[in-house]
Parts: sequence; structure tokens; C-alpha cells
Amino acid sequence: MSSAVARVDKGEYETILLPVSGENDGPAIQLACNLSKLVKKGKCKILVLYVIQVQRSLPLDASIDPEIQKAERTLSQVEDTLVECNCEIDTDILQAREVGVAIIDEAVEKKADLILMGAGYKKRFGTSGVAPSVLTVLRDAPCPVVIVRPALQDQEGK
Amino acid sequence: MYIIIVGGGKIGYSLCKALLDEGHEVLIIETDPGKCEHINEEIGTVCMRGDGTETATLADAGTTRADMIVASTNEDEDNLVVCQVARHKFSVPRTIALVNNPKNEAIFKKLGIDCTVSATNLILEHIQQEVPTHALIHLLKMDQQGMQVVEVKVPQHSPAIGKRIDELPIPPTTLLSALIRQDAQPLLPKPDTVVGAGDRFIAVIIGEMEEQLRAALVGA
Amino acid sequence: MNIIIVGCGRVGAQLAALMDAEGHKVTVLDVTANSFRRLPSTFSGTVMVGDGTDEGSLRKAGIEKADAMVAVTEGDNRNVMSAQIAKHIFKVPRVLCRIYDPLRKDIYDTLGLEAVSPTTVFAQLLKSRLEAT
Repeated sequence: MSSAVARVDKGEYETILLPVSGENDGPAIQLACNLSKLVKKGKCKILVLYVIQVQRSLPLDASIDPEIQKAERTLSQVEDTLVECNCEIDTDILQAREVGVAIIDEAVEKKADLILMGAGYKKRFGTSGVAPSVLTVLRDAPCPVVIVRPALQDQEGK
Repeated sequence: MYIIIVGGGKIGYSLCKALLDEGHEVLIIETDPGKCEHINEEIGTVCMRGDGTETATLADAGTTRADMIVASTNEDEDNLVVCQVARHKFSVPRTIALVNNPKNEAIFKKLGIDCTVSATNLILEHIQQEVPTHALIHLLKMDQQGMQVVEVKVPQHSPAIGKRIDELPIPPTTLLSALIRQDAQPLLPKPDTVVGAGDRFIAVIIGEMEEQLRAALVGA
Repeated sequence: MNIIIVGCGRVGAQLAALMDAEGHKVTVLDVTANSFRRLPSTFSGTVMVGDGTDEGSLRKAGIEKADAMVAVTEGDNRNVMSAQIAKHIFKVPRVLCRIYDPLRKDIYDTLGLEAVSPTTVFAQLLKSRLEAT
């Protein structure tokens, strides 16, 4: 097997971490699917991660039913989309205070070769820009990061 | 336990680390963005940026489910307000305030802050224990019952030396609970125990009996 | 009336001048001497450099004989602490304080402190002005 560095240099990512939120994820999911096809069949794995942000008013392990339902719904939709890409798919739901930090922790733990995530650009209340979780990932990710912004007319939650 | 620390200075930071090690859930509230970022980089996402004396900030921090709040900023008035707001608005069962100016310790008590910590007074108590220039040392205060535990050392020329305990004018509400002699096991003082030079008594006293006890064992 | 005003900002200075002009005995306390420049030259009361959250300074300002005390420094928490010391430790008959934060004011209202929130008062004033025209 080739070393991770050589593989990544050739754009062959064996473990792709795909954090999803249910918003602006579409093109990123498609890209993950296409990238996985670059790796020899059966070798690539896509980890789909949904992070539930838990407010401080609740304990970290609180079971917030509507959030969990939304997470499960989102993950199963993503799985349906990824079915055609023919590689191993893992899904996970995490609860955390900060979404970005949870993504980084997962990337480290699962030795991800690439983080691929969708992000919209929000313009409102003077806080225009990308979500703080995206900034955290760009700052702290141990591996390469690809951020996919959907086409302007397709952006959700503008 | 869920413990909120207001103030991410040296005390708040070290306290947070120690409490995390003990397995508690800890949150620091700090106004300074630089300090906040530093803490989150060092020990994980445990610091929230905001004014801990502001009700809205405390609500965001989930203060209603906190078991304890520690106010450790370097402004006494902020620490007072943190504890009062936590107690009266969020019903936090335990509140602890750091008192920077030792003069404020008494004021905080009068204003209903049950637990205060004053670095100056703590060091002073240690000095009294470590450097026994005083014959009578305060070991422990039990505020509710007005009781305290003290240690009295019998000096070389005390008039009490050679006398039995029941011959001494020990005040009535005082309990001599242990006698420590050099190179010997602590023993329970009895009415017929004879006092010797260098004897150290551990006594529980109630009310203003401190001076009378000192006079009985140390002399004028 | 014997009044102590803690904090010689714009509000403190103006209140001091008004009460002084009506013949009350006014003492103004502030941590910086420079603040007293805000008082008019006609002011005949007493000024003192000192900390309104300090028992000793308050005593020197004559709080034990005061009929009223008003805490109007820039800090909500300082005002809260000064006012509580005046009310609960020195038993001053009338104690008023300024708390900008309306939520904090509500809490201290229930704790028996007579507090005024300029934020709420001013917003209401503007609202009624708007409605009057």
C-alpha cells in the first residue's frame, strides 16, 4: 500500500470525513462520492458526521429528541445519495458544545485524509461570513480541507 | 457536578483545570476575548465569552442547572453581584466569592454571601500556624454555632505549670479535647492531668471565651 | 436632609448641585478628584476622594448621620455594592442606586434595593414622546 502522503498527493483519499448539517451539503456530498471513485474500489471510506450542538443550559449528554430526529433524517438522506458511489459508508452523530471542535476531534481520532464539507455564506445582522465551525476546521484540521459552497441560487438559509 | 467559574484569570484557570481533573463539568465565563481563546486552546472548549454579572450571560451558561458558582474576578463588587444574581435569580445552591480586599470579607458575610475566600486572610492564618508567635492559634471556625477550635501552647513560665487541670480557671463553655506533648501520642486531658511546660492543648470554645482560656493556660 | 452622593459623573454632579441649591447638606464621594470639576462653582457642599464601596471612606463621608445615599458611579456592580453597604450595614433610611442593566435591576428590586434603570426610563420617555406627537 502506498504511504498516506503519496496517496493524498495523488488526490486518493482513503478516509474522507464528511460533516453534514442538512443545509448546503448537496455539492459536497456529490464531490465526496466522485473523489471516492479515484481510490481503488473498496478501499475508500466516507465518514458522514452530524454534530448536534448542545447549549450550556443542557448537560452534554441530554437527549434532545427533535435534534436527534433531524440528525437521523439528514444522515439517512445522505446515505441514500451516496449509495451509488459504491464505497464503505459510516455515519455518526456526536453531541458537542462546539461543532468545529467536534469535527476536528473526529478527524484526528479516525485519521481522516480529507475533510470535505459544505458551507453557505450568510449575510445577516452584520455577521456575514461562514459559520464558526467552518473557521475552526480551517484553522485546526490536521488534514487537507475542501469547503464547497453551493451555487449562489442554490444556497439555503441565506 | 456542574460548576461555573466567573473570571478566567490565574485563579479561575487553575481551578478549572483541577475541577476537570476531578471529573466535574466546568465552564469559565470571561469578558476578555484573548484570555477566552487562550483557555479554550489550552484546555478545550470550557470558556464562554461574556460578562458573568449579566443575567442574560448567566442564562446562556445554563446557570439554572449549576450546582455551584465561583466568582473569582479581581473586582470584589463583581464577585458580590455574581453570587447574589446566581443565588436569587438562578437558585444556585452553592456560591463562593473570592474577596480581593480582606476588608470586604465581613461586608460580604453581612450581605448574605455565605462562603468567601480571601487570599490575604488565608495566608495570614497560615503564618499564625507556621510561626507560632502567639500562644493561642485559631485552627477552625464553625460560624453557625459560634464555635471555634483553637490551639494553646503552655509557655515556659506559665503559672499553670505543675497544676492539675481542675485547679485552673478554665472557662465553663470550653472543652479541652486533646493534649499534645512533645514526642508522645496525643492524649485526652482529664481533670487530674498535670500541666507541663510546652504542653499544647486543642480546645473547642464557644463565644467569647478565648481570652479567659488563654489567661488560664498562659498567664497574664 | 443630609445626603451622600457616590460618583461625581454628570448625573451625580447635577443631582448634587440641585440638592445643594435647595439647601440640603450634600457630600459627594468619587475615586478621582478630577471628577469634581463637574460641580458648579456655587456648590457649597463637601467633596471627598474615596471609594464608595469602602466602609472606611463612607464613614469618613459621614454615612452614619446620613438621611439618604445615592449611588451613581459608572459601574452597575459598584452601585449595587455601595447601596447594599449603606442600606444593610449603615442602615441609611433612604438608599437609591443606578443600575443600567434592566434585568439586574429587577433582581435587586426583589432584594429590596431601590434601583433606577436609566435604560428603561429613557426608552419609556422616548416612546411616550413619540406617541405624544
